[in-house]
Amino acid sequence: MRVLIVEDEASLARQLWASFSEAGYAVDTAPGGQQADLLVHSETYDAILLDLGLPGVDGLTLLRRWRRSGIATPVLILTARGSWHEKVEGIDGGADDYVAKPFRVEEVLARIRALIRRTAGIVQSELRCGALSLDTSAARVTLDGAVVKLTSHEYRVLAYLMHHRRRVVSRTELTEHIYAQDFDRDSNTVEVFIARLRRKLGAEFIQTVRGLGYRIAGEDI
Amino acid sequence: MILRSLRSRWICASILWTAGLLLIMHMLSILLIRALPSLRGVHSVGAVFAGLLMMIAGFIFARRGLAAFSPLRQRLAAVRKREASLVEGLYPTEVQPLVDELNALLAEREKAVERAQRTAADLAHELKTPLALLMQEAERLTAGNPQLSDNITRQVERMTQHVNYHLARARAAASGSRGAGPSPLAERAAALLRTMSKLHAEKGLTLVQSIPPSLLVRVQQEDLDEMLGNLLDNACKWACGRVSLSAERVASTVEIVIEDDGPGIAPDLRARVLGRGVRADQSKPGSGLGLAIVRDLAELYGGAIHLSDSPLGGLKVRLLTPGA
Repeated sequence: MRVLIVEDEASLARQLWASFSEAGYAVDTAPGGQQADLLVHSETYDAILLDLGLPGVDGLTLLRRWRRSGIATPVLILTARGSWHEKVEGIDGGADDYVAKPFRVEEVLARIRALIRRTAGIVQSELRCGALSLDTSAARVTLDGAVVKLTSHEYRVLAYLMHHRRRVVSRTELTEHIYAQDFDRDSNTVEVFIARLRRKLGAEFIQTVRGLGYRIAGEDI
Repeated sequence: MILRSLRSRWICASILWTAGLLLIMHMLSILLIRALPSLRGVHSVGAVFAGLLMMIAGFIFARRGLAAFSPLRQRLAAVRKREASLVEGLYPTEVQPLVDELNALLAEREKAVERAQRTAADLAHELKTPLALLMQEAERLTAGNPQLSDNITRQVERMTQHVNYHLARARAAASGSRGAGPSPLAERAAALLRTMSKLHAEKGLTLVQSIPPSLLVRVQQEDLDEMLGNLLDNACKWACGRVSLSAERVASTVEIVIEDDGPGIAPDLRARVLGRGVRADQSKPGSGLGLAIVRDLAELYGGAIHLSDSPLGGLKVRLLTPGA
């Protein structure tokens, strides 16, 4: 899963970056409206954290513009403006959630998780597939009850596939959702992660659909 | 003796004037009769009648001159009651400059209040980023020193609550100095319910609204949002599955009722949760000042808030606001 953090306060952006990376996300940050606008149009994100008081373009203007141009990525507004009048404006501007500063990172993480799940049409926080279970709140994968150690990229590949298990996910789509922008993608290809996941979990969980991509086998979530 | 009432000064002046006039007229008529003795004994009913008419006309003019003060008083009262922002209307030449000065003063004061409110808002917003940083630092401490982390977090939350509380009050006080434009209740309620359904999406609540679309309240829109937002957010936090919002006009006030099917608040706790800084249950996150803000705002507009049991099983909040 890949998120974009739009925050002009550098130290706060750094801390959010650290917390989200720790929680298993590929994270990009943008310090201002223009950079955010560029990234949103060139990259693909599963969720966006948006500050409103940005230098240059105001966050709300940006959000309205994105929604008008058909960008439906879930957006959580993270701002110092905490009055109900401003919250209504934010939600009506196209935001999916609103958290006022100061906030607990835990809460923001939980809300982003829920937002991504809802967007994928999933209700519970633990995704299951036979003996395999992925707990999104703890970023933990267990097989028959035993914890499986995964690297952050392996976790992202598996999490993305399990969130979108009703369909086939192409290699390009996976690539777009597991790397941060500045990451060197050539040395760690999707194929390598899939092979490692099959080694750790057993070959039967991830199917290759020739010419199309990958999908998680089995029915129950 | 100093006469304080304008009316008595006016009457006093007219009596003195008339008395002087009579005295001079008496002298003149004595001289006239001495010069023309043939006029003695002539009576003119017409002259008496004309004199009476003139007196009545004078009386009416005097009354009308003073009558300008009564509408002035009404318009001033309207400004005080926030129904108008300036004293309107045309007044006699002597009064008009006073009214103009008064209007200039009102406009200046409004600007000053607006400036103060903006400063308060800026201060609040600028405080929140460092508070957010502090909170993050505290959270990172959780592993090493959980107690310290917890203490810092709690203090940051308290500071935030106070900043929010006083910001809401400052905004309300500022809007109180302007005229509180009528706000469409049903429209604002619908906007807030949209917001609630997003913010509490995980709970999958049923939110029901029944408010006549024509209902207007004499409350600034931002303040109405703040009151409804706090009450609905509370209801959504505690509800098991259902929150209902209704309103109706009762005489000159509008009664807004918000109910939920949550656990409710014990009767002996109700008065306390409306006070500042008390939370009925510390287990749910949220500002302990939420209900206190609503009460303060309601009272600022001459309204009130009452808590009771809801037939749905949870809390029933009755918010009384002035209708428009």
